[in-house]
Amino acid sequence: MNDGGFAQFLPPLLRGTELTLMLVAVSGVVGTILGLVFGMARICPVPPLRWVAAVYINFLRGQPVLIILLFIYFALPLLFPAATFNRGFTAIVGLSIYAGAYMAEIFRGSIEAIPKGQEEAAEALGMGYFLKFRYVILPQAMKIAVPPAIGFLISLVKASALVSVIGFVELTQAGHIISNINQEPLQTFLVVAVLYFIVSYPISLLGRWYERRLA
Amino acid sequence: MITSTLNGSPIIEVTGLDKSFGSNQVLKQIDARVAPNEVVCVIGPSGSGKSTFLRCLNLLEKFDAGHVVVNGHDLAASRTNLNLVRRDVGMVFQSFNVFPHLKVIDNVMLAPMKVLKLGRREARERAETLLAKVGLTDKADAHPRQLSGGQQQRVAIARALAMEPKVMLFDEPTSALDPETIGEVLSVMKKLAEEGMTMVVVTHEMGFAREVADRVVFMADGVIVEEGPPKQVFEDPVHERTRAFLGKIL
Repeated sequence: MNDGGFAQFLPPLLRGTELTLMLVAVSGVVGTILGLVFGMARICPVPPLRWVAAVYINFLRGQPVLIILLFIYFALPLLFPAATFNRGFTAIVGLSIYAGAYMAEIFRGSIEAIPKGQEEAAEALGMGYFLKFRYVILPQAMKIAVPPAIGFLISLVKASALVSVIGFVELTQAGHIISNINQEPLQTFLVVAVLYFIVSYPISLLGRWYERRLA
Repeated sequence: MITSTLNGSPIIEVTGLDKSFGSNQVLKQIDARVAPNEVVCVIGPSGSGKSTFLRCLNLLEKFDAGHVVVNGHDLAASRTNLNLVRRDVGMVFQSFNVFPHLKVIDNVMLAPMKVLKLGRREARERAETLLAKVGLTDKADAHPRQLSGGQQQRVAIARALAMEPKVMLFDEPTSALDPETIGEVLSVMKKLAEEGMTMVVVTHEMGFAREVADRVVFMADGVIVEEGPPKQVFEDPVHERTRAFLGKIL
């Protein structure tokens, strides 16, 4: 069983790491965009947009990621047969809308932290809603949003392990399968843990670098 | 109502202005006019409604009834393009509100480039001229957090002037300043007044009002109690309320 040594199991673990990275990168980017759109909608002057955003944010933040994934993969096709997605796409959609709900709250909080006087100064100069946000509010809000957004991205790395529930073979699931084959859970999961650290630690470093740059 | 003694149709005309915050009516049937090139100082105790009145003039504060006509545009009319009107109405705030993420020169260039669509070079020339005017040429590349309050307020004045407004509103521009930097801001404002800028200044600086204003308006409890040339209001006020206020502060 173990004749090739542990080295033979490294390529599938690295492939799992690659897929975990891909999941976090794509759902992190899509989640950030969703978060920006819904975070701004949550506090925009148009009431129906505010309501839609509030429902999205509050409902999804209250759901376990597992339920979001299981619902998209198993339940959604029963409602809409057209919405039958493969595992990878389901994983990305599920993590993205989950991330979007959290990022929306981070952006909303950051925008609301900007003093009202900034908005008034922009308006007094004749800037409309778009100009005001693009050049005055968002550049300041982004700086405030970075530390909590980095923290959330790290937790997204960990949340990505949950997509194994729909059978998507990312790092956790790869480790699980391999430990069943080689019967070496200690070695296998130690390597998995080190690989997770290698993925998430640079994100913390990025956050620390950014905070130092601001200081 | 006493109307301006200066010539020309008013640049700001306020009639029957009402404003309440909840059950607290802060402006009661205000009528006022400001003529081109006129400098009007609004004085009065805190809570008298003078800042709210000023903020209604560019609709940073929405009012409940009445009309504010600026440059021929009725702010109460729904068809009025507010952003277009605000281009011609500069505003300076008590708390400066300079943009902390932009360098001084970029603070001044932003609105001319984005709102007036000026080219970068033209906007830069305009900004440099204005920074020279407020005495901050050497601070063009500084960040606002490196400046004193008085310097930040002068940046804010240059930023407002960069839109080449027809009228400037000042909302207690020196109230948040250290005493030693008040003078530099007031002297910039005085220079503006001498150049013929139309100005409405809410202030507690009675010396400035007396020296620079064409007309002083005294407000209390949401109404204009009296108004007139500074000499008359300060030395021979008609109303008891005005006398009591001036007696306390002069």
